[in-house]
Amino acid sequence: MIEGFRLGVFSRGTTLWDGLDFTFGDGAAWFVTGPPSSGKTLLLSILRGERRPDAGDVVVSGESLYRGNPALARAWRASCGHVPEQTVADARLTVGDLFRRSALAGGGVRESERKDRTDWLLEMVGLQGALEWRIQELSISERGRACLAAELLRGPKVLFCDALVAGAGVPFWEMLWGLFRALAREGATVVLAERRIPERWALAAGDPEPVGPFRVYRLPPPEEGVRGEPG
Amino acid sequence: MSEQPSLWWIDWRLSRGSLVREAIGRVLFFCLLGFALLSLVLSGGVSRLLADRYAITAVLRAGVPSAEAEGLARKVAALPPVRTAAYRDPEAAWKEFLRAYPGLDPLRGVGGNPLPGYIEIRFRSDRLNGADIDLVTSALRSVSLVEQVLAGGEGLPRLLRAGRLASWVCWGVFGAFLGGFFLVGRLQERARAGVLAGDITFLVERGVPAGRLAFLRAAGAAVSGFLLAAAGTAAGGGALFLTLRTFPFLDRVIGPPSDLLLPRTVAAAVLFSLGAALLSAGASLLGWRAARSGRK
Repeated sequence: MIEGFRLGVFSRGTTLWDGLDFTFGDGAAWFVTGPPSSGKTLLLSILRGERRPDAGDVVVSGESLYRGNPALARAWRASCGHVPEQTVADARLTVGDLFRRSALAGGGVRESERKDRTDWLLEMVGLQGALEWRIQELSISERGRACLAAELLRGPKVLFCDALVAGAGVPFWEMLWGLFRALAREGATVVLAERRIPERWALAAGDPEPVGPFRVYRLPPPEEGVRGEPG
Repeated sequence: MSEQPSLWWIDWRLSRGSLVREAIGRVLFFCLLGFALLSLVLSGGVSRLLADRYAITAVLRAGVPSAEAEGLARKVAALPPVRTAAYRDPEAAWKEFLRAYPGLDPLRGVGGNPLPGYIEIRFRSDRLNGADIDLVTSALRSVSLVEQVLAGGEGLPRLLRAGRLASWVCWGVFGAFLGGFFLVGRLQERARAGVLAGDITFLVERGVPAGRLAFLRAAGAAVSGFLLAAAGTAAGGGALFLTLRTFPFLDRVIGPPSDLLLPRTVAAAVLFSLGAALLSAGASLLGWRAARSGRK
């Protein structure tokens, strides 16, 4: 369980938000929405243990990320996957390089396993045969999906995705919906940050919990009935 | 070999192309440096040249029997600093004199051969110094058969000092090239760390300690530096061997090709490779630090 207690951020000479409490339970997919410049990316980096909040603390499985043992914080980061909002970074790499790098970070992915799983994951995100493609030649949607597939290679326990759904585009929402719920069913935690949630996802998730400028939705697990078919 | 991917030298895993280009450049540079290093080790700077040119002449008293003179030459040759000690009898001395000063044959007609026999002593190139020259000259002067010892007189200290200076200059130039390698290597490492900044950030964000990455990069740089330096020095040694075989007159300045296989020459090559490994690791760490601090 990831818990944020009384989180506050001071940025650009003003208080962006303060006193926010979050709880993201294990084995579930969470959807955080917020308006532009509300600090969604910042919130994800705080939850990942990358950026110390100016107030409050993040506790993961009972251990403080910022006030506890740094080795625990590193172990937490090692267990996380992160799909950033797509920028020009990594443009020199190929899709295959993303997987190679992800395997390096994982440290436990064997070379043969990497090759097998790479093809399978690329096919899953609709990028079969894209291994040699250069990142700079990919669309925003393709970059996001390639990045997601590379992160999934390590089998992260927690997956943070920043603006992935919007970037992927409507044709891939159904795939992502199924993927996130499948990950949750296998015990992983998925935290998505977006400007807005697809309408059908919102319908399926039910009422969000308002937290400061954000709205936090919990996507229903596959075994629960959904009120609308997403996609 | 284990299939397990590791963080060992991520540069090779993430930036293979540029690393191969750098490696080719470095091995060529090490080849030149290896050639220079082995030439310097063999020649001792200018010591071998000086040792080839410099000789002590022990002029014997008139009437010393050849057998005694040759016995003395053998004893002198047994002294540690001495490379060769050759006895020239009065007849040989006269012939050498005539070769140097043709047309002076009439001098002999007056009272026979006016020249005494002598012993020519040459030093080992690594023992050509004031202390060893004093040792040999004082040993010769105490021998009753010896009339006079000609060792260079007042000019000798200046000659030795000039030789030392020339050797230092040679080693200094070599050191400057080695320092240049370090600076260029640091710039290359910095540039590569800059190119890999995204990958390094990626790994650090996923829980890999930055210090561990820096250490493993430096260790990889050290191993590659050692191997490249060893390969370059071996190639340079081969080139030097061929050069000495092709131009035998260089033996007198650098040394014989067979000296390349002497233990001290091999030890110098190994030490050089170890030094290159340390410099490569240092360049990697400094390049890493510069790239990381520049990023912040």
